[in-house]
Amino acid sequence: MAARLLRAVAADRPRFLLALLLASYALFALTVDGFATLYNTLNMTRYGVEIGLLALGETLVIISGGGSIDLSVGSMLSLAGVVMGLLVKHLGVDVWLAAGAAVLSGAVMGALNALCITALRIPALIVTLGTLYIYGSAALVLTDTVPISGLPERFYVLGQGEVLGIPLQVVLVFLPVAVLLHALLRHTVFGRHLYGVGTNEVAARFAAIPVERVRFWVFTLSGLLAGVAAVVITSRVASARPDAGFGYELQAITIAVLGGTHIAGGEGTVLGTVLGVTVITVLSNGLQLAGIHPIWQLGAVGAVLVGTVVLNQWLARRGMAVGVQGG
Amino acid sequence: MQTLPLERAHPAPVLVRGLAVLRTREAGVVLFILVLGLVLHAWTGRFLTPTNLANVLLNSAPTAVVALGMTLVILTGGIDVSVGSTLGVTAVLLGYAAAAGWHLGPLVAVGVLSGLLLGMVNGALVARAGVMPIIATLATLSLYRALGFQLLRGKWIADIPPVLRPVGLGTVGGVPVAALLALALTLLFAYVTARRPLGRHIYAVGGNAEAARLAGIDVARVAFVVYGVTGMLVGVAALLYVGQTGFVQSNTGVGFELQVIAAVVLGGTSILGGRGSVVGSVLGAVLVGQIKNGLILMNVSGLAEGMVAGVLILLAVAVDLLRTRRGAP
Repeated sequence: MAARLLRAVAADRPRFLLALLLASYALFALTVDGFATLYNTLNMTRYGVEIGLLALGETLVIISGGGSIDLSVGSMLSLAGVVMGLLVKHLGVDVWLAAGAAVLSGAVMGALNALCITALRIPALIVTLGTLYIYGSAALVLTDTVPISGLPERFYVLGQGEVLGIPLQVVLVFLPVAVLLHALLRHTVFGRHLYGVGTNEVAARFAAIPVERVRFWVFTLSGLLAGVAAVVITSRVASARPDAGFGYELQAITIAVLGGTHIAGGEGTVLGTVLGVTVITVLSNGLQLAGIHPIWQLGAVGAVLVGTVVLNQWLARRGMAVGVQGG
Repeated sequence: MQTLPLERAHPAPVLVRGLAVLRTREAGVVLFILVLGLVLHAWTGRFLTPTNLANVLLNSAPTAVVALGMTLVILTGGIDVSVGSTLGVTAVLLGYAAAAGWHLGPLVAVGVLSGLLLGMVNGALVARAGVMPIIATLATLSLYRALGFQLLRGKWIADIPPVLRPVGLGTVGGVPVAALLALALTLLFAYVTARRPLGRHIYAVGGNAEAARLAGIDVARVAFVVYGVTGMLVGVAALLYVGQTGFVQSNTGVGFELQVIAAVVLGGTSILGGRGSVVGSVLGAVLVGQIKNGLILMNVSGLAEGMVAGVLILLAVAVDLLRTRRGAP
């Protein structure tokens, strides 16, 4: 009975993450005061939106295989936020128009990554390592490291407002984006091409799938999502910080992989990544309310990641899990 | 283990071999370093002074030392993004031990052994538990960072006695001790990778892991060794770092991994594994140090450092790819 239950949970990543989510929620509810209140439960989702958007972009990129990875998402977020802040403060552009420009600038940065990868054929790890430096450094130079604050008050509703107690950016940004991406992966030709390219590039070429074009769009989408995340975070913290996305790239990759995205490509779902970011959000919030230093939230992410993968490996070796992977 | 006798079968004439050396990636990096050095000197008039050159070598040494291990890891087709956090933890331990009045010998042991231990955890995850290298080391990047923070409890160690200063800042005949140490390690690693069975196994695993396994190479053992060695070298780099700065804080080593990977990539090692050399990586580390130094001499804001470094990484790799696609060696 117990073995069958364990097998059912270990057999697929979403079910495993759901169990982990319930377990960690229950643990914090029992041990931390003020954790399991309705207000806190709804409000904590606010803090998962930006990293969740980056992780979704990372999921698409990693699924496309061939060593695809995007190390520049954090820097793209920082620079897109700075672009928005500068447009509003120095050129007097309307704040919502500037937000649109920030999203667009993210897409342009992503497209530049994509061009280096698909046209020049430089490995994605190197391209995005280079642009991690370039975009991040550009954000610092443009602002001289000073955060841009004093944006119009009406803009803050996106990151600070709520509807029926649910943070606005979850309702208006994260959930719609997740649903759209889910539909893109599951119900469109592009989605089928994406999994095809990631699973077997050579076979995909023989099947006349435009491999380069698919990779171009996933990297551009990753940049676009970083731009969206930049708008959300700028609204939430009420300023455009030039280091807003510092270190986010590794967290985004971690969450995508935790959600079941195979680092070698071809495997991964939007649902898995959404569950992954939910688990991380619950852990961070619970540890924070328990008075544990934020650095351990990062440590916990690392522990959960390696624990999940090692457990999966162990179960696979005992023949208990099906379709599991090395990371 | 039988070594392949191919290399010594028909030694080419010395002159031909000498010319072939000039066409390698390493020679390209050396040329780039020399040209950049002349340009910087012409521009600022202060680059080619003995003090400044010693400075460049001093600042490049920790990166170069860790780049040796990172090269082995990348040659096997892996990657280690945890080296910055490992440097942080090791530096904290060294800081406490030095502040407690320990002597040089025990301090070296602390640095090397704690680095080795942290590297072996990576090695166990990759080689024994079968976790993908990027995932395993991403996880330990977070864990080690948290560990280092916990050890420091949010403070910093400033009252470190100068026991490590001779290692970090000392010179012999005007040449920094740190640079000599890096040079000695480079020669050792160049010898092992080119002439020892372990070196051939590393290249073989990176070239084709399945073929290597079928040829009787213990792939897991090779993986375990390269991560352990990298951790040990991070311990050495931490000795240099603490010796140079005399100061340890909780963000020590943040972003160091990217600098080391950049040095390896600039040195011509393929990120896909199986192709590259430790000598190239050390030259890459010198180039990174030279660029940083040049920007300071030219009074370019430190904020723009990332832009220049990023563009140079992309340029170097793009040029290398174009060259290899045209069929050059």
